[in-house]
This record gives sequence, C-alpha cells and structure tokens, in this order.
Amino acid sequence: MMDLARFNALLLESVGVGLAVLEPDTLTVRFANRRFQEWFGSVIGRSLAELVPAIDDDARGRLTAGGSVALQHEVKPARRAIALGLQLSCAEQGDTAVVIVEAQNVSKLRELEYMVESYAQMVEKQNRTLRREKERAEKLLLNIMPRTVYEEIKAFGVAAPQRYETATILLLDFVGFTPMAVSREPTALVSELNDIFTAFDRIAEQFGCERIKTAGDAYMAVSGVPEPTPDHAQNIAKAALLFRRYLEKRNQSREPRWLCRIGIGTGPVVGSIVGIQKYVYDIFGPGVNLAARLETLCGPMEILLSDATRRLIAAEFRTAERGLQDLRGFGPTPVFALEAGLEALPFEP
Amino acid sequence: MPRSMFERYGGFLGVSRIVSAFYDRVLDSDLLAPYFETVDMRRLIDHQTKFMVQLFGGPATYSNEQLRQVHAHLAITPEAYGEMMALFRATLEEAAIDPADVAQLVADLAARRPHIVAGAA
Repeated sequence: MMDLARFNALLLESVGVGLAVLEPDTLTVRFANRRFQEWFGSVIGRSLAELVPAIDDDARGRLTAGGSVALQHEVKPARRAIALGLQLSCAEQGDTAVVIVEAQNVSKLRELEYMVESYAQMVEKQNRTLRREKERAEKLLLNIMPRTVYEEIKAFGVAAPQRYETATILLLDFVGFTPMAVSREPTALVSELNDIFTAFDRIAEQFGCERIKTAGDAYMAVSGVPEPTPDHAQNIAKAALLFRRYLEKRNQSREPRWLCRIGIGTGPVVGSIVGIQKYVYDIFGPGVNLAARLETLCGPMEILLSDATRRLIAAEFRTAERGLQDLRGFGPTPVFALEAGLEALPFEP
Repeated sequence: MPRSMFERYGGFLGVSRIVSAFYDRVLDSDLLAPYFETVDMRRLIDHQTKFMVQLFGGPATYSNEQLRQVHAHLAITPEAYGEMMALFRATLEEAAIDPADVAQLVADLAARRPHIVAGAA
C-alpha cells in the first residue's frame, strides 16, 4: 500500500494547478511543483517578484499584513501564451511564515469571457436594428390609424370598434378633379395633390383634428375621434376655413386653380379598424353621411354645414342660411354656409 | 422544417466546446501552432466560434470574401490546410457528431478551401 506522504508528493506533482512556496520577505521560491515550473521555468531560488510584474509594492504590502493577493499574469512557456490567475496567501509552516502561490490556467475562461462580450455586442447591434425596424413599422401604421387605436392593437392584438356620442366630420373634394386628372400629366398632378394634402394634415393636426383617409381627391378629417373633445365642431370649422384660405393663397400664384367643396356634419360616430390583412381605420355614422351629402351640394370654395354644427359654433363663427335642402337619407334639412371666424385664426400653413 | 445541426448539437454552447477542443489539437500540432504564435487567441476563438456556428447552420454569417481577407496574409500551405482538416474531423468524431453530419461539415469546410489556402483561388 502506498504511504500517505508518497501519495501527497505524487498528487502535488501531477495536479493541473501550479503550486509554489515562497519566503515571505524576498518572495524567493523555495518549492515549486512540476506544473509551476512548466509555466515559469527554473524558479527555485529566484524571487517571484522579478518574474511577475503584477507583484508590486501594494501587493507586497498586503501580503506582509497577512492578507492574500489575486493577480493576473501571462506566461509563454512554449509557442502558446497562457493566461494565469495567481493567488498568493500567507501561511504558517511549523513556526516559520511562508507565502503559498496557487497558479491556475484561466486561458479558456478569458476566451469565454471575450466571446460572451462579443456576443452581447452582436445582440445589442441586432436589437438596435430591430428597434429601428419597429419604429419604421410604427410610423407606417400611424399613417393609417390614430395613435390610441395603434396602442390598443399593440396591447391587445385587436382594437374594438368604439362609439363616440358626438363628433364633427369634414369631407372635402375638388371641383373638376376628374377632367383635370385625365388632361394633365399624372405625376405633376399627384405631386400637387400630395402637397395640398400634406398642408391639410398640418392644419388638421394644429386644431386637434385627425385625418381619417384620402381617396383620390377626397379628404376626410374628424374631431372628437378617437379622443372625445367638447370643441370638435369648432376644431373642424377652423380647419375648414384654413383649408380654404390655404387654397386661395395657393391659387393666387399658381395654375391650375384648386377649388374645394367642404361638407361638415355633426353626430354620433363609430370608429373602427376595418380589414384583417390590409386594414384601415375608418369612421361610420350619420354625421359622416351628412358631411358627404352637404359636400355634394357645395359650390366652388363653399363650406356647408347642418344646424347641429352651426349651433355648436355660433358664438365664434359667422354663418349664412342656405335654406331647406332635400338631402338623400335625411329629408328636407336646413343648411348653412360657414363664412368666417369672428376672430382671426392663428395658423398660417 | 428539420432542426439544424446547430440546434441538435447544443446550440452556441455545444459549438463553443467543439471549437475549444479543436484548438487544443491545433495548438498542439507542430505544423499548425506556428501560425498562431502572435495571434490573440481570445479574438480568434470568438471569430472561429461564430464561423463554426455558421457551418452548423446557426445565426452568424461570414462571407467567402471575409475568409479570404483574414487568411490572405497567413500564407497557409496545402499541407497545413490538410492537417487542419484532419484535426477538425478528429475533433468532430471525438465529440460524437453523427458520421453523416461530420461528412457534411467537412465537405462544407472543404468547399471553402480556395478562400483559405494561399494562392489556391
């Protein structure tokens, strides 16, 4: 049977950890196992401080005070550099103090740490790309639906149709657009229409209105949907007057002249996403139909509204009676023309 | 869809172990070790792991052009390349990779030989 001392000696020489015993003051190496000598060469009788620059005054101070010190060191015993983790600690051997050194090969650990870091960076980069894509998709979706509806879809996957007790709807189109469309160069025409609708969007937003859609030369905006507001009729009236003023100014300096017709209706509205794959946000209700009927009655650059809207805005806007008109689906209806605001409007597009 | 080798062999962790074992062999080879004497092994292992992840059908991409660029200045000889391929095969076999998969991985890597060996393209 192998005796214990021989077993210990064998173990000491065969373990993968480098072990050394140093004198406490000079750090001279008194003993080093085989692994330690593989890494550091012939060290017996030399001071480890000469070989390991990381053993500085601070480290020596801590050792002298009886503490232990952890250090990083790199050796290159053969062709391949090895990263070592060194642990120096004080110990008593009989009645003399010694410093014990444990050295471990931490190369693989360093490689893995580097890889973790590198992967974290790769993931971070991909996240940034994803975030940008998401923002782009969000921006596109916000073009076709109000933000509150978008937030609802994002949170619940669907947006429930919502009923609004009262809202005011504006419907606009252009006199003679169809003949204009066939007689002119289409890209120029579309570019002008785009210009005008973009200006309308700015005005609508300025007054708390939401553009619902455009279809050809038709433009629909609403106030009071999806966020209810007591000022929905005033908001739409202001937007309508500014739409008209914008066109008047534009027509002074440019051909062709764009002449609009604007119908305004007030009433209950249901707002909803329509469609599954190709969805749009749309609104439905008698107020929408009324706006459409009134719009078809308009002369060039005229803004027509019903009595319900007129009563809501009477304190701030000047209107003129246009008598009883027979509107399909509504019967004989008193109609009014919106002429101007009683106070100057603040916004110039 | 059949699961990729990347998924079947333990994902990133599995590939990383194979790369580590592979480089133990490479650095013990007298023919290959000199190529790595001045190389920062942490960076190399990192790139090599991502490259292997790609070979295993996982989420990483290195183009042949990139391979060519990083190997161009190393003047890798056909002998060194052959030795590397032998060690690669041995590592895969030791890692208990299915023989059919070993054949595919070795073939995929062999297909990139022109971008790795000096003057082969």
